[in-house]
Amino acid sequence: MRTKDLLHSALEGLTRNISRSLLTTLGIIIGVGSVVLMVSLGATFERFILDQVSTFSGTTFEVQPKGMEEFGKSTLTITEADAEELKKLSTVKNVTPAIFIAKKVKYGSEEADPMVLGTSKEIFTNWSLKIDRGRLLTDGDLKGGQSVVVVGPKTAEDLFGDADPLGKRISVGERKFTVVGLLKGLGGAMGTQMDRIIYIPYTVAKTMANKGQYVDYISLQAVGSVDLAEEDIKSLLRKRHDIKNPQNDPDKDDFVARSFEQAMDIIGTVTLSITIFLSLIAGISLVVGGIGIMNIMLVSVTERTKEIGLRKAVGARRRDILVQFLVEAVALTLLGGLIGVAGGGFLGFLLTKIAAKFLGDLSFALTITSILLAMGMAVGTGLVFGIYPALRAARLHPIEALRIE
Amino acid sequence: MNLYKSYFNDELETPVLFDINLKIETGEFVAIMGPSGSGKSTLMHILGFLDVPTKGHYHFKGESTEEKLEDDLAHIRSESVSFVFQQFNLLPRTTVFDNVMLPLIYGKTSPLKRRDFVMQAIESVGLKDRATFYSNQLSGGQQQRVAIARALVTSPEVIFADEPTGNLDSASGKHVMEILQNLHKKGHTIILVTHERTTAEHAERILHIQDGRIIDDEKGFTRRIASQIKQLK
Repeated sequence: MRTKDLLHSALEGLTRNISRSLLTTLGIIIGVGSVVLMVSLGATFERFILDQVSTFSGTTFEVQPKGMEEFGKSTLTITEADAEELKKLSTVKNVTPAIFIAKKVKYGSEEADPMVLGTSKEIFTNWSLKIDRGRLLTDGDLKGGQSVVVVGPKTAEDLFGDADPLGKRISVGERKFTVVGLLKGLGGAMGTQMDRIIYIPYTVAKTMANKGQYVDYISLQAVGSVDLAEEDIKSLLRKRHDIKNPQNDPDKDDFVARSFEQAMDIIGTVTLSITIFLSLIAGISLVVGGIGIMNIMLVSVTERTKEIGLRKAVGARRRDILVQFLVEAVALTLLGGLIGVAGGGFLGFLLTKIAAKFLGDLSFALTITSILLAMGMAVGTGLVFGIYPALRAARLHPIEALRIE
Repeated sequence: MNLYKSYFNDELETPVLFDINLKIETGEFVAIMGPSGSGKSTLMHILGFLDVPTKGHYHFKGESTEEKLEDDLAHIRSESVSFVFQQFNLLPRTTVFDNVMLPLIYGKTSPLKRRDFVMQAIESVGLKDRATFYSNQLSGGQQQRVAIARALVTSPEVIFADEPTGNLDSASGKHVMEILQNLHKKGHTIILVTHERTTAEHAERILHIQDGRIIDDEKGFTRRIASQIKQLK
């Protein structure tokens, strides 16, 4: 049998009962649709997060008390003296401690709730933040305990609207600060958080926070090898905190030290495993869809027993019948797959649009890989679940098949 | 050949044909006649490679068919024989043209020549103006003629007709029998299965079969005399 004849007879078989064919493929449509949706959304969000994180240099480290990430652990484990000692390491540079202040920020009647960070000029380098107008914090600000503040563009907008923020007096809690600098926006989803932070001199924050020598955060950068820097940071802090941890077991530490490079890797791994997990669940619906295909093909073989008998009587070989019914099953799943890809892609596009309203910049990634993967799975399903009905058809005895009424 | 055929049902053997010895020459028009259940259809199925004997030998064109596999039989069905059934067995919701073309898609005819062959076959049964009709739009007689066209399209050596007039009114039946006779005159071997004497009369040789045995074989001179006497009457 020639390919053209095959396709012709397969299409004929399917169009003979269009609504049944479509209903049968529903399982495949949903299965393929969800695979495409999951893989695409996974790719979209991974790209989104990596885009954001890659704003930072991979060599930037952050050191935090364990309690900042794990509930129940102490948030008071890292001190200013730790930061001073870290500065002495040859493998790191730009070490700066930071303190978070949870206080309302006001300008006249306008109120905002940004993150207030007491720190020094190094943080701007480490986080790749650029000044838009005015100036950054200086060593002089820290030494003199100046009441000055550098504001992120989002908070500036909240407080001052379109007006020039420079020179304005704002209050953080009870204390008044003069705005000396306005940062450039990072934009994107990361920007929605980062662009809200306002920065005051570390020394001032220390008196406001009342935490004694403890700090909330240390930012620094590796000089050369990230791995070497990590090793040095960890062993220094363990020594100072009296922690014996030769196995490098993170559970034993009372701090977390990691580079942004690692953070990116972790994000990549997490989104990948979530994507795989969700796709597996989506794959289950493909199997369910495949069973539907098998069912309808068996019905079709029974309904068309006489036709099969006739085809055999006029010279069809087993293989001709087998291939005819296989092609029909695959055509069904292919049809379902196409609709599924379109549907899943469209849904993913819509969801991304909606998510973009909350997260800012978000571009939908419908990858060729995900389409091919889903279509491949659909065709595979057709083959796997179509083979049994097709074999049944091929094995029919011509006389017995013709006798069926 | 001496054929035996039994049907097996849950190890219960039901013999249908006993020791059939038969030789059919090329170009003959043979009627196999007998009451229902006599085994005439089974004999035709075996002769037409739709079924295989339980025991015995069958030589087709001088060649033994015993060792043939199912696909070899399919090949013979595709190339050398064809069938006209009592129930017509046309594909529904399919045009006359496509129905007649069906045997060609399993054969070796090049797609370019198919159209001509199909149209020739349809013309020879007088249904040229119905080629684009769906098979279920036709009358019974027309459907059977489509079935004959389908049997013709591969120009087979042997055409088997199993009660071809059984579902037709007498006028249509007569028309169908005329077509079969014409085919015989053109050199096709025709093997007709029927239980009606009047239908069998069209053949030049009549095999009477009863309870799985050939009980009479009217042919040659006697058969010609018999039909001539009949015509004189």
